[in-house]
Amino acid sequence: MEPLNHFLQRQTRRTFFKSTGLAAGRIALASLMLPGLFGAAAAPRSHAHPALPGLPHFAPKARRLIYLFMNGAPSQIDLWDYKPKMQALFNADLPDSIRNGQRLTTMTSGQKRFPVAPSIYQFAPHGECGTLVSELLPHTAQTVDDLCVVKTVYTEAINHDPASTYILTGNQIPGKPSLGAWLSYGLGSEADNMPAFVVMTPRWSAKRDAQAIYQRLWGAGFLPSQHQGVALRPAGDPVLYLDNPPGVDAAARRAMLDGLAKLNQANFERTGDPEVETRISQYEMAFQMQTSMPELTDISGEPSSVLDLYGPDATKPGTFASSALLARRLAERGVRVVQILHRGWDHHGDLPRDLPLQCHDVDQPCRALILDLKQRGMLDDTLVVWGGEFGRTIYCQSDLSHTNYGRDHHPRCFTMWMAGGGVNAGTVLGETDDFSYNVVRDPVHIRDLNATILHLMGIDHRLLTYRFQGLEQKLTGPQEASVVKGLLA
Amino acid sequence: MSGPPDIVLFFGRLHPLLVHLPIGFIILLALVELAACFPRFAKLRDSSGFILTLAAPAAIVTATCGWLLSLAGGYQDHLLAWHKWMGIATAGACTLAALLYLLKWKRLYRVCLAITAAVLVVASHFGGSLTHGSDYLVRYAPAPLRAWLGVAPDLAPSGNKSFSLADAPVFAGVIQPILQQNCVVCHGPEKAKAGLRLDSLPGLLKGSENGAVVVAGKTADSVLLKRVLLPPDSDDHMPPDGKPQPSTDDLALLQWWVTAGTPGNTRVGDLKPPADIEHILEARLGPPKAAMNAAPPKSLAEVLPLANQVADDLNILISPIAQNEPWLQANARSAGTNFTDATLAKLAPLAANLRWLDLAGTGVTDTGLTTLAAMPHLTRLHLERTAATDAGLTSLAGLRELEYLNLYATAVSDAGLRALKVLPKLRQLYLWQTKVTVDAAKAFADARVDQRQLQAWRDEIEQLRAKIKGGQMLVDLGTATTNSTPATNTATAAASVAAAKPANTVCPVSGQPVDPAQTVVYEGRVVAFCCGDCKAKFQQNPKAFLAKLNLVATPAGTNQAKSP
Repeated sequence: MEPLNHFLQRQTRRTFFKSTGLAAGRIALASLMLPGLFGAAAAPRSHAHPALPGLPHFAPKARRLIYLFMNGAPSQIDLWDYKPKMQALFNADLPDSIRNGQRLTTMTSGQKRFPVAPSIYQFAPHGECGTLVSELLPHTAQTVDDLCVVKTVYTEAINHDPASTYILTGNQIPGKPSLGAWLSYGLGSEADNMPAFVVMTPRWSAKRDAQAIYQRLWGAGFLPSQHQGVALRPAGDPVLYLDNPPGVDAAARRAMLDGLAKLNQANFERTGDPEVETRISQYEMAFQMQTSMPELTDISGEPSSVLDLYGPDATKPGTFASSALLARRLAERGVRVVQILHRGWDHHGDLPRDLPLQCHDVDQPCRALILDLKQRGMLDDTLVVWGGEFGRTIYCQSDLSHTNYGRDHHPRCFTMWMAGGGVNAGTVLGETDDFSYNVVRDPVHIRDLNATILHLMGIDHRLLTYRFQGLEQKLTGPQEASVVKGLLA
Repeated sequence: MSGPPDIVLFFGRLHPLLVHLPIGFIILLALVELAACFPRFAKLRDSSGFILTLAAPAAIVTATCGWLLSLAGGYQDHLLAWHKWMGIATAGACTLAALLYLLKWKRLYRVCLAITAAVLVVASHFGGSLTHGSDYLVRYAPAPLRAWLGVAPDLAPSGNKSFSLADAPVFAGVIQPILQQNCVVCHGPEKAKAGLRLDSLPGLLKGSENGAVVVAGKTADSVLLKRVLLPPDSDDHMPPDGKPQPSTDDLALLQWWVTAGTPGNTRVGDLKPPADIEHILEARLGPPKAAMNAAPPKSLAEVLPLANQVADDLNILISPIAQNEPWLQANARSAGTNFTDATLAKLAPLAANLRWLDLAGTGVTDTGLTTLAAMPHLTRLHLERTAATDAGLTSLAGLRELEYLNLYATAVSDAGLRALKVLPKLRQLYLWQTKVTVDAAKAFADARVDQRQLQAWRDEIEQLRAKIKGGQMLVDLGTATTNSTPATNTATAAASVAAAKPANTVCPVSGQPVDPAQTVVYEGRVVAFCCGDCKAKFQQNPKAFLAKLNLVATPAGTNQAKSP
């Protein structure tokens, strides 16, 4: 069915009228009878849009997702995938039997040789589970009993743009809806005055230019655009143009929006364009966010014990720490998906200079987020995912020394971790070879990872589809994907 | 107290031990004689003489012991008399049968044997009645059978659910059944040991020949409580070792009843039992509140229109947890303090289907929590950041399926945890920013887990670790450095250490992890043991353990580290 027709279906329209039209009508009526009602703030009302009929497919383990995306690809070799035997092979050539014809990026495909660069960082077992963690992540290491570390995620893409697009939207080619948009579309929103999907792009510390990120990584693709992620700005007002202009008070704004909604409504009934619906609901959402956003970002009510947990950066807007704190606050307010894209992990050279800075940005806040969710009883039904778009090579890009090296992109294996609702905590899944180059046991394709995330949220990835361009589109695409049983508690 | 001499009691108490021998012999003999009437089994008759020579003496000895035991007293007279004389009659008849058998007066012998068996059955019945109580056999018989036999109606607690909890008379409904089940066999109409009868309230209050056994309001002065609370291995513990013991719930109820002043027919409702007691009572006296309302959930199709209606009216989220399941989740978070006790009450029509309920940060108070008692299928309940207090938690006692309870940032304290003890499925409890102390929280958690099982698992893990260690092979690439000279030195040093290292980590004798100090060099291998005893055993006869050693140790000659 064409999406246009889909949206003209009575069911959808009824849903629409219920969720916005009638509510707006009630408010309008109330404002007529009690003109002073909107002097300060909007009356509380539900703006949540419901789940699709028939969803969730089964009882979810997690109701919310917090996705910590390390854009640029962190080095699994220096953080999670302990390869002690590499120490003996310093500067030795990577055996052809290991590389096995692997496609390389143009940044190193011209290199004459591929010398092994062992990690210079110490690893030690942590927690009751004894998972090995690098000294670069001392805080995360303390919470390792809450994590399921997957060492064998793999992808096909070898460059940032396609790889990030692939893991976050299920396809290397731009234009598909992102994971967060699918979740918003399928499961609906529980937040009355917040978008279902919020994105943050905090600043980073590594001293180099970072890879670009794109709105399509949290876009809605062909799904109704109300499901796209709303990106909060790292500094200043989190959302621009929310304030009423001088001379316009809340009541006037309300009256204007109600009038506008009527006009849009008429337009929608004439054209049936679903984007008109989105427009109406986005105006409404913006009105709600006029009060909800200042309340969200005002962290003066957070006890110092909580701020200390996230570290000194927690009170500096735009840092990963403050984003992590906001992520918890958003999750608390019923936001379905929070995605933090932290840039600057692309360490082709000077890795020992930049990686510790990046780790310092995220390490303490990651643990803090888990502990904070836990003490509020939220970790139980919040899924936390950490990882980048691919891994990094064991061989050195640029000059190799005992103190300095760089690593190129490596799609064949990389490490991610998951924590929270329904995750097999305190375990390590998968094994790579001695060079952290190929998967030896339990490969997890990023499609499988996405299928597993959907599964934990109560969705059968094969059944959440949307008809577009003649195909029943889905997040995991047409290729086979399976839920990773080893990740499930 | 003067009783028969100890030696009399000693032999007397052999009676229950011996009594089943003559019963068995005599029944067997009767069966043999019956079977021998058929030609096919005629040969069985050859064994009659042998069985008789066992049966007659056994009967006589048993009867004698029984007589000695009866001297100790404490039995109901008429039952005892019947048992005594029937027992003696059995022994006598059996002896007579043996005599007739010797005289080869076959016909008379068989008649006499039949009489013996008949008398035996009667004697045994009275004996059983003496020990277990006269209604022992038929206490749990179907009601029509009991009526036909003329036995009193069932007093067992499990059977009596006719009155509601509040209306139940406390002694007859709660305390009497406990005594009936645990005490009356020895302290009742048939046997009144120490002159104490616990089959009625007057009997209980009258006490024993040594004085009162319960003192109203004073648990510490009540001998009955003191003795049931003694450790089971104590000589004065009641009921005696080997008899059925009251449950911890029984004990809690007895203590509560004494504290409450040993009331008679006061109604339970008037006594206002505390939450934990009330919960025990609910479980016993008829259907608990929750079960009464534990209506099976309606189908989703049936309940969904109503749910949508309620959600719209209350401005909250109500949605199915999953398709094909009847369960609903309700989330009132976004309504904030506008969601009050009155609003919560409006969820009542959905009570049977609600599984997850999120009231975090709402205006719900203890009063509202009483509504939750009617939601028996709740598994997840968020009450964080509400005005809920200890008092409100008692309303949750009936939530038999509750697994997750979030109480962070409420005024709940240690006292509130008591009410949660009764939740059988509770697995996760969040108490951050409450008044609950660390000790109380830990004690609560510890009391809810099977410590012995946990310890057993921990031990098993240790054993498995030892096994893994034992099964591993050491492969060491040495320390890689650019300077080759120190590397060689390290490797050599490592090799020499490895040479002195035992070849095994698991003792070849006991299978336990080894003590590196207990070693022996055998066939060029360093063999380690868990203790000196095992070492000695091995040295006596090494060959016996060779197979096991080869299983747990690296083969001879390869126990050294491999250097690159």
